[in-house]
Amino acid sequence: MKRITLIILVLGTFANAQNTPIKRDSSDVVLDEVLVIAAKKNKIETDMKMAVSVDEFLASSDNISFIKRGAYAWEPLLNNMSTERSNVTIDGMHIFGACTDKMDPVTSYVETNSLSDIDVKSGQEGSMHGATVAGSIDLKRKSTAFGIGQTWNGAYQAGFEFNNNQFFNLGNVSYSSDKLVADGSISYRKAKNYTDGNNDEVEHSQYEKFNTSLGLAYKTTNLSSVRVDAIFDKAQDVGYPALPMDLSLSRALITSVAYKQLFEDKLIKVWDTKVYFNAIEHYMDDTTRPENLVHMDMPGWSTTYGLLSKVNLKTENYASEIQINAYNNLSIAEMRMYPQDYSETTMFAYSWPWVTTRYAGLSMSNSWDISEKSQLNFGGTLGVNYNYSKYIEFNWIFHPGASQEKTRFLPNLYASYKFNTAGFDASVGGGYGHRAPSVSEGYGYYIYNSFDRYDYIGNPDLKNEISYEANASAGFKNKKGGIQAQVNYFYIQNYIIGRILSQGSPMNYQSVGVKGYTSLDHATLFNFSMHANYSILDNLHWKGTLTYARGLDENKNNLPFIRPLSYQTSLHYSYQKFGIRTSFNGDLKQINYSPEYGEDETPSYTNWNISADYTFYIKNYKTVFQLGAENVFNTYYSTYADWGNIPRMGRNIFTSLKIDL
Amino acid sequence: MKRLHFFVIVIFVVVSSCTVEKTDYEAELSTETTEYIEYENVTSITSGDYTINLEALNGTLYKGYNEIHLNIINTVTSEALQNADVTFLPIFTDANGNTSSCPHAYNLKYDATEDYYSGFAVFTSESDTTVSCQLFIAFQVGTQSYAINQPITVEEQTNLNLNMTAFTGSDNEQYFIALVAPQSPGVAENDLVVGIYKYNQPTEAAGTFPDLSQYSYSAVQDYTLFLDPRMPEASMGNHSSPNNVDLTMESDSLYHGVVNYTMTGNWTLNFILQNAAGETLKGTEVSTEFTPGIEGAKSELYIDILF
Repeated sequence: MKRITLIILVLGTFANAQNTPIKRDSSDVVLDEVLVIAAKKNKIETDMKMAVSVDEFLASSDNISFIKRGAYAWEPLLNNMSTERSNVTIDGMHIFGACTDKMDPVTSYVETNSLSDIDVKSGQEGSMHGATVAGSIDLKRKSTAFGIGQTWNGAYQAGFEFNNNQFFNLGNVSYSSDKLVADGSISYRKAKNYTDGNNDEVEHSQYEKFNTSLGLAYKTTNLSSVRVDAIFDKAQDVGYPALPMDLSLSRALITSVAYKQLFEDKLIKVWDTKVYFNAIEHYMDDTTRPENLVHMDMPGWSTTYGLLSKVNLKTENYASEIQINAYNNLSIAEMRMYPQDYSETTMFAYSWPWVTTRYAGLSMSNSWDISEKSQLNFGGTLGVNYNYSKYIEFNWIFHPGASQEKTRFLPNLYASYKFNTAGFDASVGGGYGHRAPSVSEGYGYYIYNSFDRYDYIGNPDLKNEISYEANASAGFKNKKGGIQAQVNYFYIQNYIIGRILSQGSPMNYQSVGVKGYTSLDHATLFNFSMHANYSILDNLHWKGTLTYARGLDENKNNLPFIRPLSYQTSLHYSYQKFGIRTSFNGDLKQINYSPEYGEDETPSYTNWNISADYTFYIKNYKTVFQLGAENVFNTYYSTYADWGNIPRMGRNIFTSLKIDL
Repeated sequence: MKRLHFFVIVIFVVVSSCTVEKTDYEAELSTETTEYIEYENVTSITSGDYTINLEALNGTLYKGYNEIHLNIINTVTSEALQNADVTFLPIFTDANGNTSSCPHAYNLKYDATEDYYSGFAVFTSESDTTVSCQLFIAFQVGTQSYAINQPITVEEQTNLNLNMTAFTGSDNEQYFIALVAPQSPGVAENDLVVGIYKYNQPTEAAGTFPDLSQYSYSAVQDYTLFLDPRMPEASMGNHSSPNNVDLTMESDSLYHGVVNYTMTGNWTLNFILQNAAGETLKGTEVSTEFTPGIEGAKSELYIDILF
């Protein structure tokens, strides 16, 4: 941690050094234009709510679902695959959670008011930043473009949610001039326990989160700029009702320095290079659960540094991005069990025995406009993945003689063909890719999974998971509306999943046995989604979504956490300064559940949500006030992906106010 | 901007200040155990022209297994005595004057490269005000015999990984099992080495003291020591480890096997001792059930360790 301080002090000084007197330069236009294009503005809000958490926003994406262990830090499943199979990055930077029990997915370390967009890519198209099977989720930070004059922008958002007394304040401000740009954000959320549809309080579902970010960019020449970014996130006293322990503190420091060079009248348009560093610490706390027989300390640390360098090439009908991506991650997790007689010696082991992961990859993505109607996208990555377990003797207990160092080559390839004419569009594509086992899958040691109640053991010599993927989409659009259907199918060789081991005995007292991460011969996954929208009137819009997925292992048994048929339908009506939205969403009964992995049949549910907003001006500042209710019927339900069948939130009335400054 | 700078510094000082320190694993392993690898002088005895230097790990004799080195030097020529027949016999005397011995190597082996005579002793008790221990060392140079009787101190072994147990087997023989290695185990596969010895019951009444036939011990041959390590802590619910290997005799007359410790702390090595004929001399099968909150029953034959 001392090192971090040092780096930060250096960064801080550096940031200060950027503050040289602003000089006017009339020939900045090129850079400004390109940067404006780069800074794509998307609003992070859902149909229903304008003040959402990152999780709620991601949940509005068709191919993302969530494993929920409580009200906070949901684990995003992309294409119904868990986080080991997807790449979650922040502006392309790799970050890895420090919790062995996945209490801190990367998405829990950012806040909506510092993000401009979330870029979700399905399957091998998401392999640009590193090997993947499911795809990638890239959280894009706000980055204001250089302007001509000096401008200040900002927004402040506050709100209250009545179900769990969540109070939040989100503020962000940006400054832009022709030489210097600054983006800052600060946010604070605090929530108490929520109540379920039976009006029962769900204990240990409180949370508190503080997040702040700062980005400074300085234009070094007409065609180049330097940008320094930092995010600091701190969550404390976070309850996980589905788990036998809570979180006392998790902290992330995410920093980067980037240099961008633009080129005029050349094939190369932009060269963007970034070095980054992030450190995450995560301290679980089970003292809040007196029913626990054993008190355990379970701290975890994850430190990553990396390099990202990319060039964009563009000609009239061809665009390409070439990227070098390298990172080094060290993941450490400890467990210390306390005997009932505290005078006795404590019991210690590593659940991640100092595991280093190094990855270096060269990727390329190309887009070729064959004609005005058709486009070919293709690309690939060749990566080298290296793992090293410092205390390999932990892994040797279950896998004697397993390799301490392991180098893997990870190729990823994809191609897709898009065609559109007169409102119709269609695409077909395919992909092939490898991924390396995650730290837990490779080196995890007695990681307790409270879902199926097994202790999980990693295997350093697991084979690469190999995915063969096919996808297709078809759609139609006109002025009144559109409809779009997407399917994808994954055939995944050496699919990694936990299987009961005949040897060893549980370490965690709630556990019923030991499972080892094992490669199945193969598994298959099928995802389907359909999306339609229609403008009934100019100010009355309808939207509907239907998704279905099926996952099977080699013996045609169900895979866990596969979303049953789900639907969402919403109406939006606006009249002058008023807007009213209402939506129904739900899942059908989960018939295809997997008892082998601790799942049981989850009944169907339907939720009705409604919200209204009013836009007005306070001294020329646009202000929006929103009032709404989720789960209006106060339905008691839990979804297929609620860990341990914890009930979801009952009726929740929410209010929020947003002022654009 | 200055303010910002200040803000940044303050934040990161806060960030870096209250981190939970990572565990120093190597230090963690050595809190309960100290590994001694250096042989140091325990005592030096002079007899005639010869000085005998008795060396043991850490310069101390402990209850349990001790490897000993004797270096015999001619004080006149300053040369080490080579290839002599050196005998070694430890004798305990209790308050009533009863004498007994313990498993030991009577005839010491000469090691030409290191110039010492090596052997071992498994001290079955510590020496204190009521129990004293003496070493009877004898050797011959030419026609001249030397016999030395040296009182020694046997200290308590605080490292439970060198613990021992003594028992009477179902064949009414007296057995001794002493842990030899590892001194400082890890959360790992550990090569477990133990010495298993038997008291050779005298067939005749004692002659003149010290009558060797009364104090005869030998390493048992081709026995099997079945191993089932478990954590005795109740909350660990009879937790065990996989891939352990039962102990069998190797050429060094010691028994070798593998024990896996899945975490640090208290462990019980549950044993079943079988002789070469496959007859169980001592020890019972233990439950393999995982019983959180309830301490698992130990075998009749076990040794507790801690690391």
